[in-house]
Amino acid sequence: MSRKEEILGRIRAVIRERYDKPSLDDLQATVFPDPLAAFIAASQTAGSKVVELATGADINETVRGLFPEAGVIASNLPEISIATLNPDTVGSAQELNGTDVGIIRGSFGVAENGCIWIPQAMKEKAVCFISENLVILLSKTEIVNNMHEAYRRVDLGDYGYGTFISGPSKTADIAQTLVMGAQAARSVTVVLV
Amino acid sequence: MKIGLFVPCYVDALFPQVGVASYNLLRYLGVDVEYPKGQTCCGQPMANGGFESQAAPLAQKMEELFQGFDYVVAPSVSCTAFIRHHYPSLLDHECKMAGKCMDIVEFLHDIVKPTAPLGSFPHRVSIHNSCHGVRELGLSSPSEEHIPQFNKIRDLLQLKEGIEIYEPERKDECCGFGGLFCVEESAVSTRMGLDKVRRHAATGAEFITGADCSCLMHQSAIARKNGIQIEFKHVAEILAAGL
Amino acid sequence: MSKHSKKAKAFLKDAGYSEWHDATFWAVREKRDNMSHGLPEWEQLREKASQIKLHTLSHLDQYLEQFASQAEKNGTIVHWAADAAEFNQIVFEILSSHGVKKIVKSKSMLTEECGMNPYLESKGIEVVETDLGERIIQLLGQAPSHIVMPAVHLTPDQVGELFEREGISDEIGNHDPTYLTYRARLSLRNEFLTAGAGMTGANFGIAATGDIVVCTNEGNADMSTSCPKLHIAALGLEKVIPDYDSLAVFQRLLCRSATGQPTTSYTSHFRKARPGAEPMHIILVDNGRSQWIGNQQHWKTLKCIRCGSCMNTCPVYRRSGGYSYSYFIPGPVGVNLGMLRDPRAHSGNVSACTLCKSCQCVCPVKIDLGEQIYQWRQQLPEWGTEPASKRMLCKGMSTVFNHPLLYKTATGVLPKKPFHSLKLDKDE
Repeated sequence: MSRKEEILGRIRAVIRERYDKPSLDDLQATVFPDPLAAFIAASQTAGSKVVELATGADINETVRGLFPEAGVIASNLPEISIATLNPDTVGSAQELNGTDVGIIRGSFGVAENGCIWIPQAMKEKAVCFISENLVILLSKTEIVNNMHEAYRRVDLGDYGYGTFISGPSKTADIAQTLVMGAQAARSVTVVLV
Repeated sequence: MKIGLFVPCYVDALFPQVGVASYNLLRYLGVDVEYPKGQTCCGQPMANGGFESQAAPLAQKMEELFQGFDYVVAPSVSCTAFIRHHYPSLLDHECKMAGKCMDIVEFLHDIVKPTAPLGSFPHRVSIHNSCHGVRELGLSSPSEEHIPQFNKIRDLLQLKEGIEIYEPERKDECCGFGGLFCVEESAVSTRMGLDKVRRHAATGAEFITGADCSCLMHQSAIARKNGIQIEFKHVAEILAAGL
Repeated sequence: MSKHSKKAKAFLKDAGYSEWHDATFWAVREKRDNMSHGLPEWEQLREKASQIKLHTLSHLDQYLEQFASQAEKNGTIVHWAADAAEFNQIVFEILSSHGVKKIVKSKSMLTEECGMNPYLESKGIEVVETDLGERIIQLLGQAPSHIVMPAVHLTPDQVGELFEREGISDEIGNHDPTYLTYRARLSLRNEFLTAGAGMTGANFGIAATGDIVVCTNEGNADMSTSCPKLHIAALGLEKVIPDYDSLAVFQRLLCRSATGQPTTSYTSHFRKARPGAEPMHIILVDNGRSQWIGNQQHWKTLKCIRCGSCMNTCPVYRRSGGYSYSYFIPGPVGVNLGMLRDPRAHSGNVSACTLCKSCQCVCPVKIDLGEQIYQWRQQLPEWGTEPASKRMLCKGMSTVFNHPLLYKTATGVLPKKPFHSLKLDKDE
């Protein structure tokens, strides 16, 4: 008998009472009168900067304006022309180390907590974490109220990886002092388009 | 409606005035109350210490002693909570006590429902929300839970004219008594008690009041030892004062 | 005195430090309260979470099979480990078959439970913890004092001096947390880039999809799996939940309960390996769990999602610290898990509870933690670990209480006349 069968058999032998799965239909989850406003507020609380792309403004100029000093910019988004590195074509994830700004696209935002769903859409997902500054492009019409709505939309895509990101990497491990920029991106800017 | 008064062992022995106040208060409010003789202990101290089997004969005795009563009322939330939640598993037959035993605060608040003023008590009091009152009997909304706020002790105290009611910061954190906990974990127990008394004193109250004499006893010993000037009275004593 | 009470007494000797400790964790409890009181559906969420856990644990055989078969369909390799030794061996075999000499790992209470790090190190593999708190205590050779904030017991000076000794920081005397965090970032960045494998624990395994879900604030689980070519994920059997609808409930509760944030910065789903990387390995670890599920009195402890909120609210934990408990998980849930693990070794923790039940009121999955501790106390005689002095004391008390005459005599010598001897107006 395999280990798997042995373990499952042990469990089967000792379970006495089987409990039903609860229905979540009656769960009265928070919804917002203005989900976009709630999303922006939650993102800022999480430490993100939120900017709206002005009508007719160019995304490249906008990002450049936000990070005038940036040398290495990594992105595989077709509308990004200022990228100096492409996470699809780098030889290894390690080559993305030293990226000043990574630019990626989010699928949708969550109003209750500022999470943005980022399905992997590049060969090296490292760009989402290794960049000093992360810029997430997000359509302002793609905002859901809460995580229940969010998980009905979650799709990992072909790469089989996805993450909700809410604000920069942070830690309070030293004496409960909140510090932005632990191991991953030190800043997150959400550009609403 | 016949009411049996249960005066738990430590109240009987150390705080007889709380038994007297409870009795007088119930009588004043027109309750047909009796004190059946032969009471000792509900068994809680031994059970919480890990010796539940020693509580079983006491549970049986309590069941017999209060047989003829509609309600059993006790000035002690922890004894009431123990009877309500643990007696059914201690007895080898149907348990009546669990369903009819009430702490005096919940009995007055939920059954007697007095609305007329109960005389005056022109003092500042800080409510001690005992753990078992809050989290096992529901005398007030636990600070941990997101439910509508209420406090039955406060509701009753408001019947006293001139009273000023406060609650300490961390309004329902444990005082550290815990029965045999205060013997076995004396260092933590003492620190918890001191923290609690200081927070009560910081409200500016003259009295700490609550529905459990054991919490009050623990804190009063610590207050005395640390020179903190504050007095202790069971809720029933305050309610019965001057009637 | 119990083992816990002796250590607690020593902890409290340093009044300033113990007051700081209490205040620090109380502040986390307050942050958690702000979150729960800000969400109208909070209590409903807790109830649903509890019910989902009861359902899942009582169908764990089915959900584990579903999870494993989904994961295999996704192309991951699923291993089953009966105990800690087997788990450690599986990890080592995977690493050595890929020629890995160094791994970066995110926080996992399971690897702590199995003693994986010392085992791998004894086999010549370098293990680098990448959660900042875990890294700090790893360098100090300490165990975590809390499951979510493992290094919170240390002061910035202690961390600063450690970083100076280790060559992580170069400005001697600069113990500012922001600076120290930045220096750790630089040092760990190098580890991420050069490690041969990344290891993560899991907050959840999703049966319907085979996803491993890992929640971090630092992004270190993602960093650990973005550069190395090999990802190994380890999870205890009880971490599997049915589907995304269930996950939504837990995701909303977990971080709010743990740190008082509405979410962790990263909630990451791992379904398969990166392009060009080796297949992902998932190790399902039993190590006692399949027996605990059959423990009629205590199986519900397995509902735990490891948020740590019971520690933060526990008045005894806050005033005695994580190291006063003999099990590596402290606080209310740790007392219970320790007893499930080895009651003889961990009976000394059951005294660390006033039965105030605050833990059960904060627990996001509604484990009756205090009630369970009460039950464990009743069971101590099974292992002969009940304190003899307490047994004697209780025996004495029960003798007095069972004999009204003896009780009358005993109470008759007290300074006040006992209530039972007073004349009541009705008697007259």
